[in-house]
Amino acid sequence: MAERIAPDRAQPASAEAAQARQRSVRAWQSIFVLILLGFVGLLAARLIQTNQSEHRASGEAPPFTMTTFAGETITLASLRGKGVVLNFWASWCAPCRDEAALLEATWRRERENGVVFIGLDYLDQEPAAKAYLAEFDVTYPNGPDLQSAAARRYGIKGVPETFFIDAEGNIQELVIGPVSQAQLDELLDKIRP
Amino acid sequence: MIYDIGHLILLTSLVLAVCGILAGFWGGHRRNTRLIQSSYNAVYAVAALVTGATAILWYGLLTDAFHLSYVWNHSERALSAFYKFSALWGGQAGSLLFWCMILSVYSAVVAFSNRNRHLVLMPYVNAMLLVSSLFFLTLLVFATDPFKRVGFLPPDGQGLNPLLQNFWMIIHPVMLYLGYVGMAVPFAFAVGALVSKRLDNEWVHTVRRWTLIPWMFLSAGIIMGSQWAYMELGWGGYWAWDPVENASFLPWLTGTAFLHSIIIQEQRGILKVWNVVLIWLTYFLVILGTFTTRSGIIESVHSFARSDVGPYFLVYLVLILFGFLWLLFDRLPLLRGEHTIDSYASREAAFLANNWLFAGIAFATLWGTFFPMFSEILTGERISVAAPFFNKVNGPLFLLLLLLMGAAPLLGWRHTSLAAFRKQFTFPLVAAGGVALLVFVFAPSLYPIIGLAICAFVAATIVQEYVRGVAARRITNGENALLAMVNLWSRNGRRYGGYIVHLGIVMIGVAVIGNEFYQESLNVTLARGERATLGRYELVYNGMASTRQANRIEFDALIDVYNLESGRRISEISPQRNIYDKAPDMPTSEVGLYMNPVEDVYAVLNGWEEGGATATFTLYINPLTLWMWVGGIVLVLGTLIATWPHPTHRRSEAVRSLAYAVGDD
Repeated sequence: MAERIAPDRAQPASAEAAQARQRSVRAWQSIFVLILLGFVGLLAARLIQTNQSEHRASGEAPPFTMTTFAGETITLASLRGKGVVLNFWASWCAPCRDEAALLEATWRRERENGVVFIGLDYLDQEPAAKAYLAEFDVTYPNGPDLQSAAARRYGIKGVPETFFIDAEGNIQELVIGPVSQAQLDELLDKIRP
Repeated sequence: MIYDIGHLILLTSLVLAVCGILAGFWGGHRRNTRLIQSSYNAVYAVAALVTGATAILWYGLLTDAFHLSYVWNHSERALSAFYKFSALWGGQAGSLLFWCMILSVYSAVVAFSNRNRHLVLMPYVNAMLLVSSLFFLTLLVFATDPFKRVGFLPPDGQGLNPLLQNFWMIIHPVMLYLGYVGMAVPFAFAVGALVSKRLDNEWVHTVRRWTLIPWMFLSAGIIMGSQWAYMELGWGGYWAWDPVENASFLPWLTGTAFLHSIIIQEQRGILKVWNVVLIWLTYFLVILGTFTTRSGIIESVHSFARSDVGPYFLVYLVLILFGFLWLLFDRLPLLRGEHTIDSYASREAAFLANNWLFAGIAFATLWGTFFPMFSEILTGERISVAAPFFNKVNGPLFLLLLLLMGAAPLLGWRHTSLAAFRKQFTFPLVAAGGVALLVFVFAPSLYPIIGLAICAFVAATIVQEYVRGVAARRITNGENALLAMVNLWSRNGRRYGGYIVHLGIVMIGVAVIGNEFYQESLNVTLARGERATLGRYELVYNGMASTRQANRIEFDALIDVYNLESGRRISEISPQRNIYDKAPDMPTSEVGLYMNPVEDVYAVLNGWEEGGATATFTLYINPLTLWMWVGGIVLVLGTLIATWPHPTHRRSEAVRSLAYAVGDD
């Protein structure tokens, strides 16, 4: 076979050269392993993080800022000291209609007790949303969830979804789907300051 | 009752897989014929059992067994039988079971077709395939049981995800799974070769076809996914560099690199370490891709349910990463190359460059996919890496890759003489120059000129190769052109099928360039009877129509497409919205599409008011997009030609190994 064979492969120049080569191979191997370890470590960290955020019904409520349809700006932080009922809804969502009147009536009852109701309108069009609010005569602060930022942070699975946040800013409970009066009363007891 | 049996079957398969793994490794090590035979039997038995379990779940889906949690969550009575059937891969537990079934059937076919060959390799190959199966069986038995019951008997199911109720979306995951899962086979061979220290070209020969087959499915799956995105998602594009898309693209990149680099190993006996590393990376990326999409660690439009399979995947990833590296480092001295590269103007140098490009693209894609996630962990701030990053980095790399795709086959092994250069490159370069000039005249813009010229160059090299091959046969054998072409395929399908695949890639490249650089779009609200002008077309909105289907309402907007110059009515298109009864908050869309070889007229229905008195649309002109789907079909055909077992195959393989023996390559 008329091949040119690289000299260092056919016969190492000396034992020292062979050793040096061995060392450099080891070094590369270690670097490679370290990079992969780092990668796996980050994956693991992420997995733990994800699993924690899965426990959505506990822990500190993610911060958000909203501008209501009336033009007022509200941050969650500014509501410290009050119990917050955070309701995700949309005008196209049929089950939301089941709870709309109930939420409004409960808000009117509880507003003197240090409880705030907040509505975040998820993936919606403003005229339709305003018509919906007018239809149920909703008076508590409502605004669009721009770019679904809050929806993502709270990891909602759909609408309606309601989070009950206590005066210290911790999520006490969450309800997927329309809430009932009994549920509302029970959970409000947990967050009322 | 029957569903308890399903669970039992999975448990039995798990035990059998463990036995088969032990029998394979131990039997291979001791050369114990009975143990080796056991490893084969274990592979067959696992395949039969897992298929049985899958059949039971299918039975549950088709008979509306809503007391099964899986059926309840992913099916409903009103679903057509076809979608009930496909609901198997509509959710997590089912799709893992489906995956496991495909893997076990692949394994059985591999074991059976090699039952009398590769006697040293096969026990380890069987064992390694069973390791893959074992992992999925572990998930099915311990983490996500497809036969779990709900405590009561629900009257109806919750329905299948509306996005999955689409023909292409049914086929697309199947193709992807066939591609993904199939990559376990070449990986098993690589591990077998490393463990048995049989690191000559034996495993590489065998593995080529077993890589091409999954590669073909993976390619088809990716193309179908793009087509689905193009037709259903309605944002005018076909690829968004979404993490889940990237998850399918990454193993495709390393797999394609592997398919090319094993050719150099066969011909020149070099790149042995690189080859095993590539196929290991491919397998790793398959598992990583499944992990990222199944564990919810990455945010994506492909909203798969989260679950507790994450930790299992992580452990398995660690095992294959470090288990393989340990094995590889131990065997490094046996993987020395037999030669070095003589000249940069050689085919092997071009192939090597091709490999570096594939690796570069894969790295950039991996980086872009995981960087946002890692930056969030390390700094608490999410720095998103969007499509522009991928396009900017990968676009030029892909262009270089295309260039090499044309040039590499024209170069000789080891060295190319100047005369050969002239003979090979004159016609393709002239063709490229001609196209560049043409594009410059009609649509002057730098990148598309370069891109389309390169496409023309590659296409011309392929034509040149075919013309020469056919001419040679006509002279020596007196065949007519058509017969000569068929004979080229049957005598040397590997090479000439490969060219067809390349042609498919060129078509896809042309479509990408057209869509990327020449797309036009327009946002309009039209009253009934009103018209909009876009490009060379005029579109007239004719109102809405709605139809009640079994589980949804379809809303269609009716649009007539006219040619702007002649005023002739060309076509009627109807972009659509579907509102599903069980998931009204997830409307799906279907775009209105008029396709022709030059450009697509593409309309998306965004909304409507007062029963359709006015409607809002986004309208696009997507140039050359049809060629992407044509290219996909051509690619699959080319792969079939390259893979098809020919009657002359055995003989030519014998001749080739003879050539090795006498050292004449």
